[in-house]
Amino acid sequence: MARLARGEEAAIPLRPCLGVLIGLLATAPAAAEIARIKQSSGVAVVERGAQRINATPGLQLLARDRLVTGKDGRMSLTFVDNTRFALGPDSSVAVSEFQYDRTRQKGSMLTQIDRGSLAVVSGKIAKSSRDAMKVRTPNTLLGVRGTKFIVDVGK
Amino acid sequence: MNRASLIAACVLLGGCATSSLVLLPDDAGGQGAVAVLEADGRATDAVISAGNSRTALGDPTPASRPIGDKGLRKQEAALLSALPPAAKTFTLYFEQGTTTLVPDSVNSLALLREEIAVRSGPEVEVTGHTDTVGSEADNDRLSVGRAQEVMNWLAGEGFDRSMMSAVGRGERELKVATADNVANASNRRVEVTVR
Repeated sequence: MARLARGEEAAIPLRPCLGVLIGLLATAPAAAEIARIKQSSGVAVVERGAQRINATPGLQLLARDRLVTGKDGRMSLTFVDNTRFALGPDSSVAVSEFQYDRTRQKGSMLTQIDRGSLAVVSGKIAKSSRDAMKVRTPNTLLGVRGTKFIVDVGK
Repeated sequence: MNRASLIAACVLLGGCATSSLVLLPDDAGGQGAVAVLEADGRATDAVISAGNSRTALGDPTPASRPIGDKGLRKQEAALLSALPPAAKTFTLYFEQGTTTLVPDSVNSLALLREEIAVRSGPEVEVTGHTDTVGSEADNDRLSVGRAQEVMNWLAGEGFDRSMMSAVGRGERELKVATADNVANASNRRVEVTVR
């Protein structure tokens, strides 16, 4: 125990520095928030692995989450790079990849629309480099060069 | 596979998913574009750039049609109106070497509070900055202090801390470029992005 206490004492002077460092870098932990649900209605669910979470306003999304709406469902969300989504009814959309560096305002994302409709206003990722924002439908891979569009995937 | 046999295969398989794109002018009146990187598994260099157009996807050489007089379909218009509001950024300024807001920026706090209050599921990103007076280490601390000052005020107004994040960038991201050890009111700031 005494040995452990000494180790903690030795670590104390580092703490203020560490606090500033964390603040400065704003390093993204493994499960970093990528977006937040703004509105939803009807059946609107976020699938995260085996979990199914109701898409209530304020819910924080993670990379690889799948957004699913039922026949009467809708949901809208805003990503941390300012990209905005609105999902229509009977839709299934996965954000398969999402990387964003807040400091450099650069990143990449891949959205997969398997079913339904999605309105998009692209944000800083799409501006950061050519085709940094991609959208995949069952028969097409799109590179987004700006800014407002709707993709519809029928059955 | 040509188009006719593709369609035939789809019919036999019980229907392939068809995709379509509606490209619209952005909110600022500009016009973007969407590249078709792959269609039906093959790389293409097609770019869809006609504004207010509708395009069937899956063809390596897609043909866009104007949306025309009929305008958007009802479900498309509903989708657009469901988009969240654009992010909004506020800039607050500080007295030299302190975490004290200048008087004008105290007034801006009410606007900031209002913007957060009217949004559903808001996210607030607070970034502190300094001018170049003093050491980099001191300015790193000061910029974090400024960001936390704003976040604490918002928390005091009743906003949940889980919707907010604060970081400091010291003197790394000057609004106005200056030499070292130059006092500059524009650089002593906190930027708050509300999503």
